[in-house]
Amino acid sequence: MMSQCFIAASVFLMLGVKTATAQFAVIAHKEVPADTLTQAQILDLYCADIKIWNNKVPVVCFDLKLQSDSRDAFYKLLGKTPSRMKSLWLKKLLMGEGEPPAALSSEEEMVKKVASTRGAIGFVSAAKATREVKVIFVVAKKEK
Amino acid sequence: MIRFKLFGSVILLCCGLSRGYAQTNERDLKTFGYFQVSVSHEKSLTGSTENKSFSLQQLNLFLQKQLTTNWTAFINFEFVNSYSSFRNWGAHSLEEVWVSYRASNQVKLKLGLQIPTFNNLNQIKNLTPLLPYIIRPLVYETSFNEILELGEFVPGRAFVQMYGYIPVGAAKCDYAVFLGDSQNINSNPARGQTGVDTTRFFLLGGRFGIRTDNLKLGASVTFDKLDLHETAEFYGYPVADFKAVPRLRLGGDLSANLGKFTWESEVIRVTYDDDYPQFNKDKQFYYGTAGYHWTERLFAYGSYWVAREKFFPLQDRDIYASTVGAVYNLNEMIFLKAQLARALFKASFPSSLRETAHYYFCALSVVF
Repeated sequence: MMSQCFIAASVFLMLGVKTATAQFAVIAHKEVPADTLTQAQILDLYCADIKIWNNKVPVVCFDLKLQSDSRDAFYKLLGKTPSRMKSLWLKKLLMGEGEPPAALSSEEEMVKKVASTRGAIGFVSAAKATREVKVIFVVAKKEK
Repeated sequence: MIRFKLFGSVILLCCGLSRGYAQTNERDLKTFGYFQVSVSHEKSLTGSTENKSFSLQQLNLFLQKQLTTNWTAFINFEFVNSYSSFRNWGAHSLEEVWVSYRASNQVKLKLGLQIPTFNNLNQIKNLTPLLPYIIRPLVYETSFNEILELGEFVPGRAFVQMYGYIPVGAAKCDYAVFLGDSQNINSNPARGQTGVDTTRFFLLGGRFGIRTDNLKLGASVTFDKLDLHETAEFYGYPVADFKAVPRLRLGGDLSANLGKFTWESEVIRVTYDDDYPQFNKDKQFYYGTAGYHWTERLFAYGSYWVAREKFFPLQDRDIYASTVGAVYNLNEMIFLKAQLARALFKASFPSSLRETAHYYFCALSVVF
């Protein structure tokens, strides 16, 4: 419980989010070779522009089925509306260039899936991130 | 016994297929597609023509398989205009059959029958759920094939394409270079097997562009040669000079988003390089579409299209069309569309022609 609170607090600080509704964490499988990602990199991952991690493991993105505060905040981070993202995924799908992320029913399922799927990345409310997954720190710009 | 074998094969095939959404097991063969069914009403203001009809405008069926992490195979079957071989309606074609290799975002390779990257709309012209239009901007509308020489405006097929993007700060520089056959499908049995692309020339082309989150612009080019000796013979020109006429297509595209407003536009110029000043088959096409997202689900637009064709050696033909429409995204998989268009046809030969027509369309576009 302490660790979850610590993770949540860290995520809150690193994201610099200002409202209670926007406390979310970008999470990844423990073996994902990245600790920080930029907003642009996360968008590239979710748009299937980046398909493979540096360790050659395929990227597997997860989305949430239902509207939630964390989902809204995550899409806001990407700078896209849900319908715009769905339109981008549809374009990739129909051009044979990629597939939409699997949409999961709950944040608990998101944590389980990300923890058990190599190369996985997802997002949950900051308080739901556990030690089973890696919390990715989102930075404003790519570090040099 | 044969029936059992057939039944067994069908069961095995079905077991091997999976619905193509969401990142699933990469070894699965995925099937998905879309269709658009429409109703149209066409009324000529200068003549007495009036047509109303329902149509299964288009059905595309895709098969896709991720062969390895880097290799993907893709097949696209297309059926248009209520296809029925029994009734001799519509057409069926293998639009795309390719395998792609992704070395990195900078270097991707596509081998096999494919629609080449040219301007903004060429590659996605058939993806009806992505487009707000029911009738697409003139040179991208397959059903206008009898009115315009569509294959001369935009390249329809390529067989090898290298493409990718290079990040430059917040922007991405796109490139695509492709190789294919020059446009020349044989429809004359006297010249050999019909339907076979008997061209002696390659098509070389590409697109270079830059895009950010809200802006995309690019320039496209293709170069090939056409065998026009039959046309030359018909008009009494020296046949030998028209066996390999160089053709250059130049294109430019610009798309932008500004809040709820969107803009997309293209220009295409086709020129033929010959030594006869009176020979003229040059073509031009322009379109611009301004759109507005009223809500997350409702998008409305207005668009203006111009196509100008010179016909060797005497005729000029122009089409001007203005259109407005809207698309409502019902549930991400079903789209309702409506479109009104007014078209003006002008021709100068064999006699001066000026005809105006109104079109009304409604359509349902479904992804499955």
